[in-house]
Amino acid sequence: MGKIVLKNICKNFGEVKVLENLDLTIEDGTFTVLVGSSGCGKTTLLRIIAGIGPATSGEIYLNDEEISDVAPGRRNIAMVFQNYAIYPNMTVKGNIEFGLKNNHVPKAERERLISEIAESVGLTELLKRKPSALSGGQRQRVALARAMVKKPEVFLMDEPLSNLDAKLRIQMRSELIELHKRLKTTFVYVTHDQVEAMSMADKIVLMEKGVIQQQGSPEEIYRNPSNVFTAQFIGTPAMNILKLPNGCHMGFRPEKALMSETAPYENCAYRTQGQVLTREMLGSETLYKVMVAHVDGSSQPVMVKMTEETIAEDRSVRIAVPEKDLYFFDREEARIRKEEKPGQYEECLRCLREVRT
Amino acid sequence: MTAKQKRKIARIVTGTLNTLFKVFVGFLFLFPFYWMAITSVKPYLETLQFPPTLWPKNFTWSGYQTVFRELNIWMYIKNTIIVTGSVMVIQIFVDVPAAYAFARWKFKGSGILWLLVMAAFMVPGQLTFIAIYFMFADWGILNSLLPQILPSGASAFAIFLLRQNFKQIPEELIESARLDNASEWKIMWRLMIPMSKATVVTTLLFSFIGHWNAYFWPLVMTRDEKLKPITLAIERLKDMERGLDYTVIMAGNIILVLPVVVLFLLFSKKIIQAMAYRGMK
Repeated sequence: MGKIVLKNICKNFGEVKVLENLDLTIEDGTFTVLVGSSGCGKTTLLRIIAGIGPATSGEIYLNDEEISDVAPGRRNIAMVFQNYAIYPNMTVKGNIEFGLKNNHVPKAERERLISEIAESVGLTELLKRKPSALSGGQRQRVALARAMVKKPEVFLMDEPLSNLDAKLRIQMRSELIELHKRLKTTFVYVTHDQVEAMSMADKIVLMEKGVIQQQGSPEEIYRNPSNVFTAQFIGTPAMNILKLPNGCHMGFRPEKALMSETAPYENCAYRTQGQVLTREMLGSETLYKVMVAHVDGSSQPVMVKMTEETIAEDRSVRIAVPEKDLYFFDREEARIRKEEKPGQYEECLRCLREVRT
Repeated sequence: MTAKQKRKIARIVTGTLNTLFKVFVGFLFLFPFYWMAITSVKPYLETLQFPPTLWPKNFTWSGYQTVFRELNIWMYIKNTIIVTGSVMVIQIFVDVPAAYAFARWKFKGSGILWLLVMAAFMVPGQLTFIAIYFMFADWGILNSLLPQILPSGASAFAIFLLRQNFKQIPEELIESARLDNASEWKIMWRLMIPMSKATVVTTLLFSFIGHWNAYFWPLVMTRDEKLKPITLAIERLKDMERGLDYTVIMAGNIILVLPVVVLFLLFSKKIIQAMAYRGMK
C-alpha cells in the first residue's frame, strides 16, 4: 500500500512562493511522473513527500495517515537522487546496509536482504567495491538497491537517469519500468524530459510555475491537452499553435499535418499553402519547417513531421489538417472542447472557413 | 641552433633552477634539525670548537644519558601526554559537532556565534591568560593539569577548518542518510568524519604539535614541578649548574621533537590533502 494525498501544500523560499495550495492524489501502485520545466516546483514537491524539504503549510497523507511531521527516515519512503548520493566512504554493501542498520534489522536478516537485492540488480560481484571504483550505471544500481532494500511503500526518484549517457538511459528506463511491474509499489518520478515521462508513466502530472497544469495518462495528455502549455510541452516537436483572427488559438501536431506539392485536401478543415524552409532527416521520419500563409494574413513557420522524404527544400507545398486533429484554445489559452463549448468551437472553425472562401 | 634545441635548453635551465630553489628552501628548513641532531651526539668540547664540525668526530650518547639521569623525564613526558591526549579527545567531541552545526544547521544566533568563534580565533592567549588564571584560582583547580587542558578544549581554528570542509559535502548525502533513518549523531560520525578524514587528522595533528610544544601557557599556569610538561623541563637544561652544555640541551630537544617529527612524516600526505581544494564527485 502506498497512496499519497497532498492537501493545500504551500512552499515558500523566503519571499518566493514556489507552490501554492497544491492538491494531488497519487494512487497506490501507480508510476506517477511529475514533469515540467526546471524551476516549476516538481523537485520541491518530491522533497516535501520525502520530508527532507518540509512544506511551509499543508498536509501529507500516506495511506490515510498524516505524515506531515514524521521524520524522513520513519515515513517508509525511499528516494533515489539525481547524483545518486551514495556514501563515498562505504562499500557498496555498506551503502545498502546503512539504512537497515539504522532500522535495527538483525544481522542475519540484513545479509539475506542484501544478497537478494544485489542479485536482483546485478551487484553481487561488486558488493565489496567502493563507489569511486564504479561506473555511472553501477552507481545508479547501488542507489536503487539502497532504496529497494528498505522495502518502502513509496519510491521517490529525482531525475535518476539524467547523469547517464543516452544508451544507458534508455536501458535503465526499461529496467525501471520492469522494476515497477515486479514490485507493484508506488513510484513517484521527477523529470524534465517529456519523452521519459511519456514512456514510463501510468499517470503524468504536468507542472508549471508551481501549478498542476494537467494530470492524466500519457495518452490523455497527448491526445486531449487542457491548455496550450500542455499541448506544447508534450510531443516533439511541440504542437504548432497559430493565432486566429478572433483572438483564440488553433493548434495541430506536426505528425498529424498532411503535406504534399499537389494534393488539394478538400475535406480538411484547415488548408493552407507554404514553402519548405528546412528539412531534417531523422531516420524513420523527416521533419520539415514550413513557412505558411496563415489565416490572419501573416506568414508563420510550422513544423511538419512525415514518414516520407520526397519534398525538397524551397518547394511550394500544400498543408492541411483534418478537423479531428485540430485543437482550439481560448484567449486565456484554455482548451475549447467541442462537447463542452460547442458555440466557441464552431466560431473557431468558422474563422478557418471564412478565410478559405 | 634550431627552435627545438632552444626550447630544450630553456626547459633544462628552468628545471635546474627549480630544483636548486627547492634544495635551497629544503636546506633552510632541514639544517637546524640536522644541527640539533649532530650536536646532541658530539662531545662537549667539540660543540665549542671553531670552525664547527659538520659531522661529529667522536660520537657520544652522554647528552641523552645526562637528560635521563638529571631530569625525571618520564614524569614530564607523562604530563605532556595526558595534556595533549586530553585536549585532542575533548577537541574531537567539541569541535566536530560545533563545526557540523555551523556548516549544516540554521539556528537562531548562528551568525553571532560564528562571529564569536572567529573573534576567538584572532585573540592571542597572551591577552587572556591573567583572567583565565584568576578564574582557575577561584575554581581551585590550579593544582592539577586542568588549567593546561580546559582552555584548549575548543579550538576556533579546528572549528573553522572542519566547517569549511563539511560545507563541501553535498547536501544530498545528508538527506539520503536522513531518509535512511540515521540520527544526526550517526551522520556526523559515520559520514561527515570519514569523508573529512584528511581535515580531521590535520586539525588533530596541529593540535598535537601545538600542545606537545606548548611553552607559554604551561609556564604561566603551573607552579608545581609535578605538573610541568616536557617543554619546561627541557628549557631547564640550560640553567643547570654545569653551565651551557649544548650536547645535553640538544639531546633534550631531540627527545622533545622526535614524536612530532615522526607523526608529521606519517601524516604529511593527509595535511596536503586537507589544505588543497578537493571537488567531490
